[in-house]
Amino acid sequence: MNPQIEKIRSLPGTFLFDLDRSARGMRLNRFLCGLVRPENRSLFKSDPEIAFENAGLTTKEREMVRTKDWKAMADYGANFFALEKLGRVTGVGNPAMCAQMRGEPLEEFLKTRRVPDAC
Amino acid sequence: MATIIGGIGTSHTPTIGIAFDQGKQQHPAWAPLFKGYEPIVEWLARMRPDVLVMFYNDHANSFFFDHYPTFAVGLSDRHTVADEGLGLRPVPPVNGHPAMARHIAESLVTDEFDISVFTDLPIDHGCFSPLSVMWPEHATGWPGVIVPIEMNVLQHPMPTPRRCYKLGQAVRRAIESYPEDLDVVVVGTGGLSHQLSGERAGYNDSDWDLRFLDLLTKNPHTLADMTHGDFIELGGSEGAEVIMWLAMRGALSNNVAKLHQNYYLAMTAAWAVQLYEEPVAATRRPAAKSRAGV
Repeated sequence: MNPQIEKIRSLPGTFLFDLDRSARGMRLNRFLCGLVRPENRSLFKSDPEIAFENAGLTTKEREMVRTKDWKAMADYGANFFALEKLGRVTGVGNPAMCAQMRGEPLEEFLKTRRVPDAC
Repeated sequence: MATIIGGIGTSHTPTIGIAFDQGKQQHPAWAPLFKGYEPIVEWLARMRPDVLVMFYNDHANSFFFDHYPTFAVGLSDRHTVADEGLGLRPVPPVNGHPAMARHIAESLVTDEFDISVFTDLPIDHGCFSPLSVMWPEHATGWPGVIVPIEMNVLQHPMPTPRRCYKLGQAVRRAIESYPEDLDVVVVGTGGLSHQLSGERAGYNDSDWDLRFLDLLTKNPHTLADMTHGDFIELGGSEGAEVIMWLAMRGALSNNVAKLHQNYYLAMTAAWAVQLYEEPVAATRRPAAKSRAGV
């Protein structure tokens, strides 16, 4: 137990990226982070199933990527900044990712922002 | 001997760099951000520091979780821009200061601060977003060089807030023992409040952010005594990266003066910038430098 984050275990709605999540998410994070390379982006866009196969993703991991279930992936072990790369490749911005994490439509989330066009 | 003449704390979201590239300086949603950097731009142009030592974090672009350093100093001659999934930003690479970087690494390790080193790894928005707005005239090359110090604020266990402050103190000792007569500015990046993961995504707290900025100036030890849990509760899980500002503050003296502060919360991450100047800055040599044509 890391005393630095002990109190956060009970903080609702927060998925801390710790060594447990990191270990579980290693394969998925490697795939997601690989999208910083143009050739991997091309392959993923043209044939995602081959990209999944090459990355050795499990059935569950593939399904979460296909459905862009950001919240499920974060809870499972994807680091947010790895998810962000999939967002960029698929044209989903951080506000839309945050909205999905919160379980609300993007328009609702934007209403909670002070200056929604600053993105 | 090299001298620290000041410090800058600055947010580093990717959107800052993108908004700069898109020329949104006058856009009503962005102007309060860019306006907040004007005193920084003016001060840097006047003081012309030789080196910016930047405490930043990589966002899983150059470092991956199969081997993740807690602290790493960049030794490269030239730091290229990372492709973060959208292709490359239209900014030139920024030169490093390998001799000072090597000295900092040696000094830190002999000072019992076991830092890692890296070279030939591109640098992401953690440095390039702040650089874009602090040195806006960079289309054909940056007006100065950097020594990047990468910090793990992505994967727990992260270095404690106190450890980050102590890193700053050790970096100060390293800079002050560097034999060349150079003016150095230390930069802490990231924050302020934001959370991007989980149902709590979208969390901000401006009251806490302003308290953080005030404490950083007046009583950084209060911040250094806090836990990551405290920072996450008050400033969001990603907002806890403000411990990189503590490293910057640790590298400054007790007599530092805060010259400027700007705070603007628009979207998901609160943007802030602070400028600190060391008393010694008044005696340093912008005039002599211009005579020497440096």
